[in-house]
Amino acid sequence: MTWDNLPSLYPVLVLALGMLVVLVAGLTRAGQRRETRLILFIGMATLALAGVAGAGLSGATEISGLFRSDAFSRFVLFFGLISTALTLVLANNSREVAGRRMAEFTAIILALCTGLFLMSAAKDLLMAYLAMELVSLSSYILTGFRRADRLSHEAALKYVIYGGVASGVMVFGMSLLYGLTGTTSFSGISKALTGASTVAGAGQVGELAVVVAGVFVFAGFCFKIAAVPFHQWCPDVYQGAPTPFTGFLSVAPKAAGFALILRFLADIFPATGAHEAKWPLVTLLGIISAVTMTLGNFTALHQLNVKRLLAYSSIAHAGYMLMGVIVLDTDGSAAVILYLIVYLFMNLGAFAIIQLVSDSSGSSDLPAFTGLGTRAPLLAVFMGVFLFSLAGLPPLAGFIGKFYLFAALLKSNQFWFIILAVIGILNSVVALFYYVRILREMFLRAPAGEAPAAPAVPAVVMAVLALLVVPTLIFGVYWEPIRSLAVYAASALNLM
Amino acid sequence: MSFSNDILTLMLFLAACAGLVGFMLAFSAILGPKKQSAIKDEPFECGIANVTPYSGNFSVKFYLIALLFLLFDIEIAFLFPWATIFKSLGLFGFIEMFVFLAVVVSGLVYAWKKGALEWD
Repeated sequence: MTWDNLPSLYPVLVLALGMLVVLVAGLTRAGQRRETRLILFIGMATLALAGVAGAGLSGATEISGLFRSDAFSRFVLFFGLISTALTLVLANNSREVAGRRMAEFTAIILALCTGLFLMSAAKDLLMAYLAMELVSLSSYILTGFRRADRLSHEAALKYVIYGGVASGVMVFGMSLLYGLTGTTSFSGISKALTGASTVAGAGQVGELAVVVAGVFVFAGFCFKIAAVPFHQWCPDVYQGAPTPFTGFLSVAPKAAGFALILRFLADIFPATGAHEAKWPLVTLLGIISAVTMTLGNFTALHQLNVKRLLAYSSIAHAGYMLMGVIVLDTDGSAAVILYLIVYLFMNLGAFAIIQLVSDSSGSSDLPAFTGLGTRAPLLAVFMGVFLFSLAGLPPLAGFIGKFYLFAALLKSNQFWFIILAVIGILNSVVALFYYVRILREMFLRAPAGEAPAAPAVPAVVMAVLALLVVPTLIFGVYWEPIRSLAVYAASALNLM
Repeated sequence: MSFSNDILTLMLFLAACAGLVGFMLAFSAILGPKKQSAIKDEPFECGIANVTPYSGNFSVKFYLIALLFLLFDIEIAFLFPWATIFKSLGLFGFIEMFVFLAVVVSGLVYAWKKGALEWD
């Protein structure tokens, strides 16, 4: 490696340094209020600096064949920075995490943010694995962050066990890929699979072997995006984790997981001369997509806890986004990226409202939302916007996200893709039902006993909510900027 | 064609595995002698009967110390190879190692300040 490529690593270095500074700053003996303010300031400054460092980059640079900084990975960098910044502000105003231990929360979430960028920039199995572990380990810690809460402990333990098994299976698949091809770099694997490698004795690798290795690797990837059958951790973890972090968890690591899947598929199976194992694997992902959204939506119908309900809804959304992945062209990937952008706003928003409600009433069960429309009309209306957007109703941003996903599938004009799109559309109808259930609870019902106090909304949180609501509304009618951003990021993947 | 052949081989292999396991379990259940006694039902370790029932908690401090030990042990493991080729690495290696040490030391400061090194 030469020094010329160093700038593309600046965001990582800034985030890592910021994390250390936050940890040490958390040791000061200043008053609690001043300390949390200092921590928040350092955290935000780190994120802003990393953003500046990222914005200064252009084109594509590759470092040691491990790490590639291009439009695609920079998109994930900014995605991670924005969601981390919003989460930090929300966490600072949350009853569940704010206080003395804000320094640890900030430091670990900065580490997580670094991992997100590295996941999307990985060009090598080793790098991909390390980045995924960085994200996973930080997530385990933050899930169990509420020390006094048993649910939080249980969630963290379940997450660690499921996560350990999933990453073990994934590493096994990676070792198979390495054994088959003799290299860990994505592009090297792609060459070796089709026999185009210059390594002595290399020939076409058998289809079944690649499919088996691919299935194992995708077990780990599907765990990260919470796709069936690796979704069982999701409801428990989402319910047990502190609410601001649940919102983050449902958005940022999922986006990085999709980024890694897209990068992996685009590199291992290039547009021309891909190995024949491409289609069995893509078919499998298609089936996973259909099962994921159906199972997610139908299980969400019966949930009584809103966090748990949104966990199943986020499983269903992973299914929708997988539809865009399997098309494996620039249109499909751009649709996934567009959906991720929209999803960031609507899902973080919904969880922010849940945080406010559960902080004031002490529960995130459905009855806590009863009569919210009269207690806190503005919050209820915001929640309505987020939920309708999640359901994919026009003229909200969620509709545009879904529209481009279905369009990418229909444009490919293949029988099974169209069947999948139909399954997706039917699922959206089912999804509407459980989102409306929350709305009915908020607007049409009066609380049975004494109504809980109306949530107190600090001005900062209101600003964050406005930052989330406005794009959800605007991108529904004027989506050209995010559409061209998505196409720009997706075109860095060298798909068709 | 070769794909379905491969699948067939795999399926045969799986069937053989399952068959072998089923065979061994079934026959040991059918043919094995069964003489139950109270002693046989007792839990034991290495053939030695338990002296006391397991109870009591381990202090979490043991884990904490072990974890810190591991951390700084690995730091040393990184320092040895660096020391052997210190001269050929030159100034770059020197600065690089001090960056690494600074990171580890800030960890030590953190552990110290948080009271992880105090036993009581």
